[in-house]
Amino acid sequence: MISIQHLNKRFGTVQAVDDLSLEIPAGELFCFLGPNGAGKTTTIKMMTGLLRPDSGTIRIGGFDVQKQPVEAKRIMGYIPDMPFLYEKLTPVEFLKFVAGLYNVTHPDLSGHIESSLSQFGLQEARNALIGELSHGMRQRLLYIATFIHAPRVIFIDEPLIGLDPHSIRMIKNLLRAKVRDGMTILLTTHILALAEDIADRIGIISGGRLIALGKLGDLRTQSGDKGSLEDIFLNLTASPKNPEPLPPKKNLNPEP
Amino acid sequence: MSPLTAIWIKNWNTLRNLRRILQRESIFKTVFILLFAAGMIGGFFMMFLNGFQFLASLGGGGFMITRRLFSLFFLGLGAMLVMSNIITSYSTLFRSRETLFLLTAPLDTRTFVTYKFIESTLLSSWAFFFLMIPFTAAYAWHEKLGLVFAVWTVLFSLPFVFLCGALGSLISLAAVRWFPRSRLVWGAAAVILLILAIRVLLQIRPVMQEEATFILNRFLPGLQLATHPLMPNNWTAEGIMALTNGEWFRGSMLWLVLVTNTAMLFLLIQEFGNRVFYTAYQQVTGSPDIRRRAPELLGWLDRLLAFLPHDIRVMIMKDIRSFLRDPLQWSQALIFFGLLGLYFSSFRSFHYNEMPPIWRNLVVFLNIFSVSSVICSLAARFVFPQLSLEGHNFWILGLAPTGMRRILLTKFFLAALAMVTISAGLMGLATWMLQAGPALSIISIGLAVAISISVSALSTGLGALFIDLKQPNPAAIISGFGGTMNLVLSLGMMLGAILPFGLIWHWRASEGLADPLFIKANLIAGLWVILLSGLMVSLPLWLGIRSLKNREY
Repeated sequence: MISIQHLNKRFGTVQAVDDLSLEIPAGELFCFLGPNGAGKTTTIKMMTGLLRPDSGTIRIGGFDVQKQPVEAKRIMGYIPDMPFLYEKLTPVEFLKFVAGLYNVTHPDLSGHIESSLSQFGLQEARNALIGELSHGMRQRLLYIATFIHAPRVIFIDEPLIGLDPHSIRMIKNLLRAKVRDGMTILLTTHILALAEDIADRIGIISGGRLIALGKLGDLRTQSGDKGSLEDIFLNLTASPKNPEPLPPKKNLNPEP
Repeated sequence: MSPLTAIWIKNWNTLRNLRRILQRESIFKTVFILLFAAGMIGGFFMMFLNGFQFLASLGGGGFMITRRLFSLFFLGLGAMLVMSNIITSYSTLFRSRETLFLLTAPLDTRTFVTYKFIESTLLSSWAFFFLMIPFTAAYAWHEKLGLVFAVWTVLFSLPFVFLCGALGSLISLAAVRWFPRSRLVWGAAAVILLILAIRVLLQIRPVMQEEATFILNRFLPGLQLATHPLMPNNWTAEGIMALTNGEWFRGSMLWLVLVTNTAMLFLLIQEFGNRVFYTAYQQVTGSPDIRRRAPELLGWLDRLLAFLPHDIRVMIMKDIRSFLRDPLQWSQALIFFGLLGLYFSSFRSFHYNEMPPIWRNLVVFLNIFSVSSVICSLAARFVFPQLSLEGHNFWILGLAPTGMRRILLTKFFLAALAMVTISAGLMGLATWMLQAGPALSIISIGLAVAISISVSALSTGLGALFIDLKQPNPAAIISGFGGTMNLVLSLGMMLGAILPFGLIWHWRASEGLADPLFIKANLIAGLWVILLSGLMVSLPLWLGIRSLKNREY
């Protein structure tokens, strides 16, 4: 569903993404990990067509993002880390606007919107202006908006920022359910427990290069570390500019 | 539903919800803003009407000027629209957060650029209508023209606005696409080139022209360009006049010329935007090469200010660096002052210095008025919202071991220093070019300095009193109640300071006010300006400091 071949992007003298190749099949939740400035957001922005790669190709559902951008965007959704919402619209107006942008031809669009708002616990807020909603409510609204055109691929940059535990559980369940229905999800996060919890496969990027790829077990094999994902991540990405990994915690409980 | 239809429905809903937002605001605030707008339009109407009446009193020459003034007025508004659209297009096309959202939607570039072009033209055209309505209304009143004149004006104005908007958007797209970013010097060079181009255009002289026209062109800068048959402002002005006078064929032809040219530019925007926008967007959004950037901007200034207390020095450096790194802010200021500087430096070319004293005095006081007006608008735009724009970072200042009094006074002194330097420099240039006497030079520079200091204090103090840390958009901060009140009081202060001196000098030149009385009147007016400035500096700053100290964050 997502096919990236020899992707490169340079900003001045900085190689942000370096010969990245990746294949993500349909119905997979792929988690992209990496230290700050590793190239995760740049890669996502290239996949969504916001940034133009210096070289390499990206295909989403068979569509070349650079050559067939409209076709590719029609089947994808994107949730950035700092999303934009129209503050002077109500949730219903905003959702109808997004449906119009994607030319959603649902026979009962209003009913679909109402049931989505109710599912995400936003029915009470349906008449409020978006500017009046709390951060968590806005995030939930954004998820409804992203799913409204039933995309086949979703890109999410830091999906859990600022959410309470209830919302986090809801989003995690939702993402897993969507993947079961055949949706492909690529998300980036710094919360390693989230990746460990919901990802089918994990890719670790550092200095623009994909340095490890696979299931948690594969990463253990690749890194030669039998510890947690945190240990594997810190070992793989240790560099002069990243702090050294912490020593293993001492077991304070006496052995039985 | 097409994406473009969805966008227009969204815009309509936003507009409809504005009523809801207004209903929650205090009635007093809404009425105050509406009254201010109505007062401004009424004031402009009276000013234009007086101007037309004065020109009519001049006889034949006045009539010639009046006809051409219409073209000149549309030339000025057109230039303003183009410049305003260059800046608005840049922010709506490249800097708006909506752009990122829409670019991930299945919207082709042509549709996106079309929408953004229309949006930026509509956003930047309010000032055009704000000035055009009282001007044409005054003209219609003076010439006793019927309602049909308003219909023809609207009919011609709409394509004219979009034509100028398209020119601005084209320049903006081309500049972003081909000018390397992060080079402030390129931005400054572009503004200087623009000013030079205007200067050259204003001095266009035909080889052959009638004597009367030749004389008129000497006194009205840009008249030759304004009445050129290939200029859209001339089609607009002449077309409105032709239809008003019942010249149906000529009027219709001019309207069609205007509309077809606008339509052609519309197509050009779509085609050019489709080819250029995406690459231009990459230039703007791609991460800058941070390795080439110096770790500290103006490090030498930081060292130069080492004598200041450390907290004041760092606050000054932070404000200067933030301002300079936002070209959208300083480019507007540069255009304002660049044009004023250009105008003042052209005085001798137009022989203003050879005018009789009564006229020269009038020009000097009009110059003080224009410089002060720009100072007022800049203070409203940049000084008033500066505390609010600290936004979520205000806790850094709030937690620092420095007092709110020091923070506010630092902001005031920095703003006042910048405003005084600019206004005194411009007034010095204007009086020197006009060859004004030492007394008039001292008074005009003194007035500019007093107004700059007072307006800086007023904007800083009211900015603290009406602080809104949740609003990141400066336009929203300044268009609120506090911002409007600040502008009204600034303009009031300006008039209160200039008018007494203006009247005394006009009285002296027209009716020969005796020396002792003239000196005494000047001294009283000077004392009044000192008292007024003292009040305008101390009261808002005191209120602002008190408000900041008592505020919970």
